[in-house]
Amino acid sequence: MNNPSKSKSGPPIVGVSKNIERVRELIEHVASTGLNTVVFGESGVGKEVVAQNLYQKSPRLGKPFIKINCAALPEGLLESELFGYERGAFTGAEQRKKGKFQLAHSGVLLLDEIGDMSLPLQAKLLHVLQSGGEFSPLGSEKDVKADTWVIAATNHDLKKDIEEGRFREDLYYRLNIIKIYLSPLRERPEDIPPLIDFYIKEYASMLNNRHIEKPGAKVIDRLCTYSWPGNVRELQNVLKRMLVLGDCGQIVEELFNSERIVSPTSGADDKLNHHASLSKILDLGGKNSPENQSFSLKTAKKNAVEMVEREIISHVLGKTDWNRSKASKILKISYKTLLYKISDLNIIPPEK
Amino acid sequence: MKKPFKLLIIDDAEEILTALTNFFSQKEYDVVSAANGLDGLKHIEAKDAAFDLIITDLVLPNISGVAIISIVKKKFPDTPVIAITGWGEHPESLAKEAHADYVLEKPFKLPELEQLVKKLLK
Ligand SMILES: Nc1ncnc2c1ncn2[C@@H]1O[C@H](COP(=O)(O)OP(=O)(O)OP(=O)(O)O)[C@@H](O)[C@H]1O
Ligand SMILES: [Mg+2]
Repeated sequence: MNNPSKSKSGPPIVGVSKNIERVRELIEHVASTGLNTVVFGESGVGKEVVAQNLYQKSPRLGKPFIKINCAALPEGLLESELFGYERGAFTGAEQRKKGKFQLAHSGVLLLDEIGDMSLPLQAKLLHVLQSGGEFSPLGSEKDVKADTWVIAATNHDLKKDIEEGRFREDLYYRLNIIKIYLSPLRERPEDIPPLIDFYIKEYASMLNNRHIEKPGAKVIDRLCTYSWPGNVRELQNVLKRMLVLGDCGQIVEELFNSERIVSPTSGADDKLNHHASLSKILDLGGKNSPENQSFSLKTAKKNAVEMVEREIISHVLGKTDWNRSKASKILKISYKTLLYKISDLNIIPPEK
Repeated sequence: MKKPFKLLIIDDAEEILTALTNFFSQKEYDVVSAANGLDGLKHIEAKDAAFDLIITDLVLPNISGVAIISIVKKKFPDTPVIAITGWGEHPESLAKEAHADYVLEKPFKLPELEQLVKKLLK
């Protein structure tokens, strides 16, 4: 059900709640301004849809719409993705590469998960925004100037991140010229029936309208009382399951059962203590603890991936006596990528 | 009688908005008020708006005061805008970049603001 050609245009913003109506109105009024914007809201509430709608209603429609996820890449890689580099900027930079900031010139750059950007990169971004879009790619003497509309999205409470020293206050004000907040789906249950309606039609046509069991009034009523931790994305998944599997009643039951299991219980901690690595990934008690407001599965996943990568790369480097070219062949990654990973994962060579 | 000057005042702090609105209404200004940026912008974009001067707080829900200043200065470059800003917030430099005519820090005295308004309306 992934239609890449649709990724830019995206769906309309469906909903009848006060929050959604206000958001639609806000978009109408600000889409033509090109002023820095931040879209706030939990995971799956529709932040990207809002960004796409801003773009579609703006004079920048038809120009590039470029998205970059600030949580998915290690710091150094994110920097070179954003701002590009010159040939020879570092070992392995065989070709010059344009940054996304420049590729989005005259269009939109969506900085997804801006709350996960590292402080040094925040400083660089601030600098670029202050100078009206001027920056120099890594290893380049010359400045590039890009007229890029920056829209950021986050599920963090950035105010709290500022208090805790994880987000720059000056960058916050610089980005937050327009602020769009999407409330969680559980706080606007009146949007659930129209969303169901919209997506059932959409999916039914993808399934060539072959005979499908649609959720009835009773099922829809129950769906309106569910807590939707995954918001609209979770609703979509439930609807897809219903259309493909039928038996809507059963699926609703399972949904409410899973809700009970996921909610925190007192015994959960004990079980987790048996998994030292798991608690490390979860950063239990730390800033990405699931008990914490700012917890995100993405960050946990990123931590897990980094941990595994660090283990394996260190192991291979040990075996090859830190011969990086050999190690990169064993790991089946490019030499350049290996260098990046060594520096980003902070893998330290043994003392000679 | 001369037509009174028309002011738009935007602030999300109710006490301040009420105080400013009452003060300038008593001084015979024609005052329109808004408690957030979007409502303010709607007044600005209304057909017969024609404000002589705009006073806006900087930190506002949805559309910030900085955005209001940028939008006004683009559409109505001759309309003066005064930005008022709270303590401990640092978007003054943004307001200046957006070409606010004056940035006034809270707390201020109402007559001080009125002097400023008079000066800018000349
Ligand atoms: N109001 C809405 N109307 C129609 N579709 C919606 C709406 N809100 C969200 N969706 C759909 O739900 C899915 C998730 O939305 P989206 O990707 O915009 O969420 P997000 O807030 O960016 O999530 P994340 O934080 O995980 O990146 C998308 O397929 C989107 O099209
Ligand atoms: Mg998203």
